Amino acid sequence: MAYNVLIVDDSATMRALVRKVLNISGLDLGECFEGANGREALEILQRNWIDLVLSDLHMPEMDGAALVRAMRQDHLWQTIPVVLITTEGRQEVLAPLSDCSIQGYIRKPFRPEDIKEKLQNILGEAWVPHGRELEGCDF
Amino acid sequence: MVESLKAATFEVLETMFFLFPENLEEAATLFHGPGLRAWVPVEGPKNFRVGLTVPLPLAQEMAANFLGLEKDRVTPENLEDVVKETANMVAGSFFIKEQVPKDFNLKPPEAIRLDLDSQHWEENSHHLLLAVEDLGLEVFLEKTK
Repeated sequence: MAYNVLIVDDSATMRALVRKVLNISGLDLGECFEGANGREALEILQRNWIDLVLSDLHMPEMDGAALVRAMRQDHLWQTIPVVLITTEGRQEVLAPLSDCSIQGYIRKPFRPEDIKEKLQNILGEAWVPHGRELEGCDF
Repeated sequence: MVESLKAATFEVLETMFFLFPENLEEAATLFHGPGLRAWVPVEGPKNFRVGLTVPLPLAQEMAANFLGLEKDRVTPENLEDVVKETANMVAGSFFIKEQVPKDFNLKPPEAIRLDLDSQHWEENSHHLLLAVEDLGLEVFLEKTK
């Protein structure tokens, strides 16, 4: 099964990095969509089938927490796994988000392997190595 | 506090860019030509900013390593974005190391271009001067209004 992934970050460069990591992670990647904030992400979700959302937390206009809360109120989107990729590491800031059914956090700075491990944990048995491995890449 | 800032900087540069900063007494002499400064405003009971300044060649090296590109394929937008994102990550890591309370909020990073030769470079309790591959790197923590 190929996974359609939505990457949400206000930094185009960070979105490009995450996309690159996904490409070499072994994930069977279908289409990869990008949004610069939560509002753009919701528009993409309305128009496309998305299997996984990787989102920043701090973004202008609509942040990652508001995006996840909006997704959890929609019956079509409430089961889509969401992983937050964020510089925020303070537990007292992240703890209130635990009621939003977020599947995990990846703290920046991260290694490509961190994303791979997190996705493997989330997708579990559905993970299908796709022949592109991290080992030996020039990251 | 400056030790946490230094540790945060080392963590970010080593993990994301495969760059290894050094403490050099002559680091202040390594700032020349055009450069980029990026910072993250922090709002809370006290306002301050966490940021860094790098010469253009170091920004190019960072962006190339970050995106896995050749240096000549790095765009000006990439440069600014990567330096801003670096400031963001350093600030986030610094917050964890200093256990900064949640009523201090990280705001979106900002950046400017500047002429490094027109600046005064001096290390003190809130400005750290480091060397990365024979280029200067300033990391700072400054009070704001």
